[in-house]
Amino acid sequence: MVAPLYTTASGLLFHAGKILIVTVGLPARGKTHISRALERYLRWTGVKTTVISLGDYRRKVIGGAQKLPPDYFHHGHDKSPDTVALRQKISEDCEQQIVDFFTMGGQVVIYDANNGTKERRHQVADKFDKLGVHVVFLETFCDNDDIIMTNIRSVKISSPDYRGWDPEKAVVDYLSRIETHKKHYETIDEEEKDWPFIRILNVGEKIMVNKIQGFLQSRVVFFLMNIHNRFRTIYFARSGQSLIEHSYKADSDLSPAGWEYSERLKDFVLDRRAKSLQQRGIESKDRKLVIWTSARRRSHHSAWPFHHMQSEPSPDGPQVKIIERPQMAEINPGVWDGLTPDLVRKYYPDEWERFVRDPYAYRAPRAESYHDLCVRLEPTLIELEREQEDLLIIGHASVIRCILAYLIGLPASEIPAIEVARGDLVEVVPTSYGVQSQAFHFWDGPGRSDENGGGKDEHNFYENYAEDTRGKKSNTA
Amino acid sequence: MPSSSGTFYVDSTGHLTTRALAHVDDALEEAHFKISQPDSLPASTPPAVFGAGGPMLKRFDQSTATSRIGSQAGTPPRSVVGIGGKVAKPDYSEAKIVLAMVDSPMHIFGYHTSTTLPPTRFSMSDNCAAREPKRKAQLSGMREDHTASYFSHSNAEANKLRDQLASDSLEMLIKWLREGGNVGIHDATNSTQSRRKFISDRVAKEKGIVAIFLESYCDDPAVIAANVALKVQSGDPDYAHMSPEVAKEDFLRRIKQYEAVYETITEPNLSYLRITNVGAQVTLCRIKGYLQSRIAFYLMNLHLKPRSIFFSRHGESQFNVEGKIGGDALLSERGLQYAKALPKLIKDNIGDAPLTVWTSTLQRTGQTAQDLPYPKLTWKSLDELDAGVCDGMTYEEIEQAYPEDFASRDEDKFNYRYRGGESYRDVVVRLEPVIMELERQENILIIGHQAILRCLYAYFHNLPHEELPYIKIPLHTVIKLTPKAYGCDEERYALPIKAVDTHRPKPGTTPQLQVPHAQIARQYFAEEK
Repeated sequence: MVAPLYTTASGLLFHAGKILIVTVGLPARGKTHISRALERYLRWTGVKTTVISLGDYRRKVIGGAQKLPPDYFHHGHDKSPDTVALRQKISEDCEQQIVDFFTMGGQVVIYDANNGTKERRHQVADKFDKLGVHVVFLETFCDNDDIIMTNIRSVKISSPDYRGWDPEKAVVDYLSRIETHKKHYETIDEEEKDWPFIRILNVGEKIMVNKIQGFLQSRVVFFLMNIHNRFRTIYFARSGQSLIEHSYKADSDLSPAGWEYSERLKDFVLDRRAKSLQQRGIESKDRKLVIWTSARRRSHHSAWPFHHMQSEPSPDGPQVKIIERPQMAEINPGVWDGLTPDLVRKYYPDEWERFVRDPYAYRAPRAESYHDLCVRLEPTLIELEREQEDLLIIGHASVIRCILAYLIGLPASEIPAIEVARGDLVEVVPTSYGVQSQAFHFWDGPGRSDENGGGKDEHNFYENYAEDTRGKKSNTA
Repeated sequence: MPSSSGTFYVDSTGHLTTRALAHVDDALEEAHFKISQPDSLPASTPPAVFGAGGPMLKRFDQSTATSRIGSQAGTPPRSVVGIGGKVAKPDYSEAKIVLAMVDSPMHIFGYHTSTTLPPTRFSMSDNCAAREPKRKAQLSGMREDHTASYFSHSNAEANKLRDQLASDSLEMLIKWLREGGNVGIHDATNSTQSRRKFISDRVAKEKGIVAIFLESYCDDPAVIAANVALKVQSGDPDYAHMSPEVAKEDFLRRIKQYEAVYETITEPNLSYLRITNVGAQVTLCRIKGYLQSRIAFYLMNLHLKPRSIFFSRHGESQFNVEGKIGGDALLSERGLQYAKALPKLIKDNIGDAPLTVWTSTLQRTGQTAQDLPYPKLTWKSLDELDAGVCDGMTYEEIEQAYPEDFASRDEDKFNYRYRGGESYRDVVVRLEPVIMELERQENILIIGHQAILRCLYAYFHNLPHEELPYIKIPLHTVIKLTPKAYGCDEERYALPIKAVDTHRPKPGTTPQLQVPHAQIARQYFAEEK
């Protein structure tokens, strides 16, 4: 089970202590990708986490690669005293930022830097170990040149360091930067087995874990076991309108409009996906499409039009696989099931007050809070990370909100307010530095939540009470 | 209120009219305001709109059966009626894995095998492991000496025998996986590269089956000593007839003989999991796929520290007394007595050892735990199985309202999902994170509910899904489980406070009278009595 369960007033997990994760690895080994992913995950679970990136800080202070002294990335003694002092200053500043974050009540810091020599990383580790911080090394290494080149081309040369450079020149420059690092690079070995460490070869092909103990640490390892960096797209759509929208218990079937919606959804998704794959030079039939639904009928039946693509795959269309996940049921409204806001105000005046005050954390009698829902969805998120194929999630507004908040990196308190309109398809593309998301509108029929002039869904108020319908910023951030 | 005859709602083309939906809305309105509140309820309680006991659900099902015409799918899904139904297996069934054990010099001789079994059976796959080289030997009458000389690698006869057994058992496993199993554990001495190559080559010939090797390696003297002690004391049938000293010596001799020929796993092309010194160091290589990563994570969270897990249901609740299921009722008078008596029982048992109490979010568990002087955590995931539309009804009422549905629940109780609620299988999925956390923790007391504790109990005792919904977990009884290398020891402490019996045996079977005794999860090739 994941962190939110243990969240305390201070925002710290009571038994986890403070953790510093020191990344180790040559450039272009995916350190930043992993650091950011980990940060997103830990933050979502309620842990105060930050990435301190030496590269980002250096860019901020000095500027891109052209402004650096030519010997900046040289190692050993062939650097001018000025450069040495400059580097020293930058790493000291970063370490100070780490100290500050811990002092301000942070719990996990990921120090994203090369830390390629034993001397360097032990210096950092000893310093923070003395301060009572639990230090973990995280080494990413790679013996597959294709992975490195892909990373350089897709991420590095588009980084701020190489703004305005000729791409080929940038690649050459970057490779030479790696070469100078390589001369002095020391991989983590047996000598360092007194420190906890995690070593990842070729983005998860092999993982070695040493002396990892503790709740958060083991969550970190499990998370790292499941992430990958294959390009894929995640789509979200709400389920179609059902006959009894406002009852959880009735678990009702789709309405006629809902069935129509599901047909439209299928056509739109296939079309949209073919277009975005085409932009990358991929034929849509070459990539599989995995569809997740909950076990609720309104969700599972909204995927029904895809069923024949699964049972009788055609050679021209994509391969489709539909998976039903009972953990993805919508937020459970408990005893408020089927009631209108007026009835709730009448029968549960005190509870109503508290609900309105904090729609994220408040749990109606026998219901789930959004917080409970996030905890329930945590294994699903791990599965989401693990999935390598394109994914379409046909879900409920509350579930989509939680997952989007995770992917986009929104704070928990904003989750209930994320707008997820029925009739929009949200497209999310994970990248190294975060995600890109876009919403496409495809349906205006009955059941679109703002059909009555932009109002909230009165019928399903427990789930949608806090939804912000003023703007669409939330899901296209 | 219009009548519920179908034609009224359908137009000439067979489509549902918008008028029909309007009628559904009317019906709902009426439900809110007209269904008179039963006298037994206080005026402050709103009506349960879609309870299976009320008239709404049936009327609704009848009036909306035609809405499905909107679906253009060739084979529309089953329509929605009644209080629930049997649901399909989840989608792990495609995975077929041979988990091959690599017995290291100080592999804990089966420890991982017996502990790997429960999670795989419990949460993902329906069946598990045929892994019986030793049993096979028993069947063919070959086994005589199971002590150190049997394991000696210089014994040519024994070597040949062991090779034959390992290869036979692999064939058995593959056959079993082809017939629908998910995870088969090959518990043989796969400690040489050539043997591992043999296995991976053989498995590679089978489409859709993958092999994973699992090595537990140990070179820490303290851990070795602890494990030898555990092995010798924890009732390993191999040593049942020996004195501890002799057993220890024999065990250490076995280890020596292994060491002579042992090759640790390094082959980069194999899919493997290597655990050194009980989790101090873990290496995962080419571990992909849902089940694989679960198995890996699970093994990383195991520990060997002795501890106990206590289960108790909440004290008898007012709903228990009335025979109702679900709800969030408070304790009855007798339930309160139980809550008062519980602290002493626990204290007598555990002394001053640290303990954490886990409860659900329902009032009856919190109330039961209220006098316990230990840190408490509340888990939403420990809430009782959600009976959906049947929540708050008695079994008799359900049977009366939906006789056929009710009968079908007994056909496959594990997979039966209440409408708007859960099945036992859903609960098992929901409990998986709880179990992962439970494996990491030390002494824990869980104040839970009948269905929840059945699932947890089945996990620790490795009981099959069919039996799970019928496990007896009486009220006012504390169950103490102590995980051992070969299963769990069990003790039950019933407090002399009367309570109703909420157990419903499967109809048509003789009621299960006996409380299952402490058992070992692993079948051994020990002398049959």
